[in-house]
Amino acid sequence: MVVEMRGVEKRYGDVRALAGVDLAVAPGEVVGFLGPNGAGKTTSIRVMLGLTRPTAGEARLFGGSPDRLEARGRVGVMLQESGVPSSLRVREVVELFARYYPYALPTDEVLARAGLEPRARALVSTLSGGERQRLYFALAVVGDPDLLFLDEPTVALDVEARRAFWQQVVGFAELGKTVLFTTHHLSEADAVARRLVVIDKGRIIAEGTPSEVKRRVAHRTVRFRADVPASDLEGRPDVQRVEIEPGGLTAVYTSEPERLLRELFAQGADLRDLTVTDADLEAAFVALTRRDGVAA
Amino acid sequence: MRGPANPEPRGVGRRLSASARPSGGAWGLWLAQARAEFVASLRAPDFVIGVVGIPVLLYLMFAPPNARAILPAGTRVSTMMMPGFGAFGILSLVLFAFGVEIAQERGKGWLRLMRATPAPAWVYLGGKLAMSVLYAAVTLAVLFVVAAAFAQVRLEPRQWLQVAGVMIAGGVALAPIGLALGFLARPRAASTIGNLVFLPLSFASGFFLPLNSLPEFLRDLAPYLPTYHYGRLIWSSFAPAADITAYTGMEPAGTLTSVAWLLGTFAAFSLLAVWAYRRDRRRDEG
Repeated sequence: MVVEMRGVEKRYGDVRALAGVDLAVAPGEVVGFLGPNGAGKTTSIRVMLGLTRPTAGEARLFGGSPDRLEARGRVGVMLQESGVPSSLRVREVVELFARYYPYALPTDEVLARAGLEPRARALVSTLSGGERQRLYFALAVVGDPDLLFLDEPTVALDVEARRAFWQQVVGFAELGKTVLFTTHHLSEADAVARRLVVIDKGRIIAEGTPSEVKRRVAHRTVRFRADVPASDLEGRPDVQRVEIEPGGLTAVYTSEPERLLRELFAQGADLRDLTVTDADLEAAFVALTRRDGVAA
Repeated sequence: MRGPANPEPRGVGRRLSASARPSGGAWGLWLAQARAEFVASLRAPDFVIGVVGIPVLLYLMFAPPNARAILPAGTRVSTMMMPGFGAFGILSLVLFAFGVEIAQERGKGWLRLMRATPAPAWVYLGGKLAMSVLYAAVTLAVLFVVAAAFAQVRLEPRQWLQVAGVMIAGGVALAPIGLALGFLARPRAASTIGNLVFLPLSFASGFFLPLNSLPEFLRDLAPYLPTYHYGRLIWSSFAPAADITAYTGMEPAGTLTSVAWLLGTFAAFSLLAVWAYRRDRRRDEG
């Protein structure tokens, strides 16, 4: 296994950031970590990297302690809240970082991989948010790592930049490398990851391929306009959640839309603008984190 | 754009790309780090002006008018002033290039990113030290030329080298003060703290004006400052004891005492810096 966590707990005073996490990641996997803010995603990654020591349990990287320099040399990271000296040029930073690792890819290859060739001579201080993020990606891959950790890599990127970024990540994964990332953007996780790990309140609450995670909740969304009070719907056992959306549409998240609709029609409810849609990851995620008794 | 299917579990051996190359040894790493530090500092003109320009400029203002004043054993006052302003420049490197820069790079997350790589911590500090020593040498070279050209400073070749050697070695001994500041101070407060320490220390150690022209409490305080002993060692590397006493108005402390002060400072602040570094890392580790 590339990454293994066994019964990992992390306490900060009275707060349990991780409450017993077990996880194994095999070589070549692309794994997405999902969860609301404060769920424990970043803490999990930091424990795996050996940047944070667990209160209990054990984390292993490449079969040994994550602290070993040998393990560090095989890992590339993009962390939140990191910085590079602003008066260096892009190429200079990449060349310096290459020295930190036992093996390195040629600078031109790294710049190409990160889409930074046109900005190779630019000072770091002149980079846009998206370019800066690409520089961090370049620094994460320059050591030709076997494992890539990306912590919220697309925060502050626009839609186009996000897509370009994930293409770079997929390109790296295609080399047979292992990729682990966290994100808020469920659609990204759905599109990129082969396996999803949903974490909430410091626990893994669901795990599997994106479609498995969706199937686990197996609910769909029924939207309509009607004079049915939301409180009537919320009381039903087959309904997970009811939302009044902007524009007055009622959205009902349910595992059995047929039964719900049959009964509503039987009551003579007048439903307009009716649609039934498949579960998206967003909905699955909300349902999963709510079932645990937590509002996402 | 989905990635490749998750393959069956297999070994966790290294999977190098065909284009990957070994990065070279510790020596090359240190050189690269020092080079990056130096290149980055050259692009910050305020840094170069502050470190090299200000001590030289101040010396040019104060020394030439004193070039004719000669101390009892024959040393010019302008000669005694020269290493004072040099020490002032080196102290600014210790406090700012080391201390404040480290605190700010901690704040920007550069250290956090470095800690996630296999690069050992000494690389970062070694790079800063190499850059600071280089700047100290440049500052002294410019200062010496200006002193010889405009303030009639004349020394034997051996004496020039001795002064420079003692100044740089003493600066290295003081460097852990900056290191401790860099890891103790909050990033936003570091610059203020640096300035608060810098000017009073320079005055109280007699770097600008001879101590006998300063208030009495400063003269009483001076022998308890490592920077005062730094100054004494520098002066005694080229000037007769009688002239040092005449210039500073202070009885000689003895070379051994001053060396002991610098070594003690180096040891004590190194310990403090290591403690502060570990505390900072623990906080980062949570």
